[in-house]
Amino acid sequence: MSTERLLAHPLGDSAVTISFGTERSTALLQRIQTAARSIESAGIPVIREVVPAYLALTVFYDSLSTTYQEIAEQLLALSGKMPAPDKRPAKSRDHVIPVRYDGMDLEAVAAATNLTASQVISIHSGRSYTVDLLGFVPGYAYMSELDPRLHLPRRPEPRPRVPAGSVAIAAAQTGIYPLETPGGWHIIGTTAAVMFDPARDPPALLAAGDVVRFEVLT
Amino acid sequence: MITVVKAPAYLTVQDRGRTYGRAAGVPSGGAMDMFAISAANVIVGNDAGAAGLEWALGGGSIRFERDCAFALAGARVEASLDGKVVAPCTTAHAGAGSVLSVGQFVSGRFLYVAVSGGIDVPILMGSKSTYLPAHFGGYEGRRLKSGDTIPLGPETNPRPEAGLHCAADLMPPYDGGIVHVTSGTNERMFDEAAWSVFTESAYRVTAASDRTGYKLEGSRIGNPVGTLPSEAGCPGTIQVPGDGLPIALMADAPTVGGYPKIAVVSEADLPILAQRRPGESVRFELIGIEQSQRASRRRAADLQAISLLASRGKRT
Repeated sequence: MSTERLLAHPLGDSAVTISFGTERSTALLQRIQTAARSIESAGIPVIREVVPAYLALTVFYDSLSTTYQEIAEQLLALSGKMPAPDKRPAKSRDHVIPVRYDGMDLEAVAAATNLTASQVISIHSGRSYTVDLLGFVPGYAYMSELDPRLHLPRRPEPRPRVPAGSVAIAAAQTGIYPLETPGGWHIIGTTAAVMFDPARDPPALLAAGDVVRFEVLT
Repeated sequence: MITVVKAPAYLTVQDRGRTYGRAAGVPSGGAMDMFAISAANVIVGNDAGAAGLEWALGGGSIRFERDCAFALAGARVEASLDGKVVAPCTTAHAGAGSVLSVGQFVSGRFLYVAVSGGIDVPILMGSKSTYLPAHFGGYEGRRLKSGDTIPLGPETNPRPEAGLHCAADLMPPYDGGIVHVTSGTNERMFDEAAWSVFTESAYRVTAASDRTGYKLEGSRIGNPVGTLPSEAGCPGTIQVPGDGLPIALMADAPTVGGYPKIAVVSEADLPILAQRRPGESVRFELIGIEQSQRASRRRAADLQAISLLASRGKRT
């Protein structure tokens, strides 16, 4: 476990970013997600929201009711409490997402990786993934860790329109487009799962720390 | 109810933005000029967080279908109610059937129209604001069109008297062009030379500017790393991509991003930047977080003062 010192820095008037380290790793990500959950469950009334990321977490707060100094000290104290190193963050959920592997880039991915399409499918669906963070567009989950045999850089030219529900891969990650947006990942399949619904609570199907497995629909 | 008689190219429902949703990748959103929408709301007797109209890209007209108080704030425009001139930041009364016409935008970019009772649309993630990129919030998740009828909420407070004015000395100094910033979360990545470039040059807002962000033009700032692992940003974040020309993230700022963040605009001054048109310039001045938070508390106190004035006005 890293023993690097935690650092707090204001992100404008109403947020504070706590940095946990400088090197991306699964252990660091888990530690940050665990800290995010313990901050959420501490029930500090001025806290509005916690956004965990790869090297840091950011807490948004009501700056009319507290000062930066005060909240930063509180958060550093809470974040410094180390969880057991191998423990999965509490409250994370498991999901099985059915996928029809009919993506427009499936054959191209197979060709570029020297695999057959059915090998790509069995490798992609053959392991579970952890949600690193959500972003890019509402409900878009960046998931790790893709099998190294499937690692490909992003497409050189992003597509102007990727349909909602597209299951895609790029570098060491996989993701699902919740809305029709531009996108540069390789599309290998489609899911009917609703990744984001503004009227649902919570609106995003996945949250940071959740574990996802893809089920092959034939 | 309000009827959109002639829609401008851009007209949406906005309020002070979402209270949650960032962890799910949903931007906080809300009005580009939070002070203007809040001020317009309080002088018509609404809560500062009520929903109003955000209006840009040209004139148009709307019809009030019930008696109400309304006010305009933000961009300076030529406006009239049934032919009579409407003053900025001033409470006006409208009878059912009267038409508010907005003509030329004299200065500024976003006009706000607050109506007593506020606009009544569903609340999603703590807000009635429209998020156009994902087509949700506000009125059917879209810009308003001619012929749309927008529901108003019940008026819970008596209407303040007509003529109640929000004095200029309570408003952000829109014309000054000085925008205060605090240092960003990646400040250490920028050396002294980069900081002097950033704080000593004027930056022009380019045409590549919208609710998501304003691309700025001016002296280039060295970006030593390209991109970093993504972390949270917020409206007002000034990030420096590889080309060295900063981008100020605005109301619909993506929740996370990987460009190094050199600074964040003080909440008190974000309206000044938001109201800058393409071609207009600002200068950034670095201050500490204590000073920045004090400025934002002062703005909140100013709003409170205006709100008090409004509630006194209604008893006279």
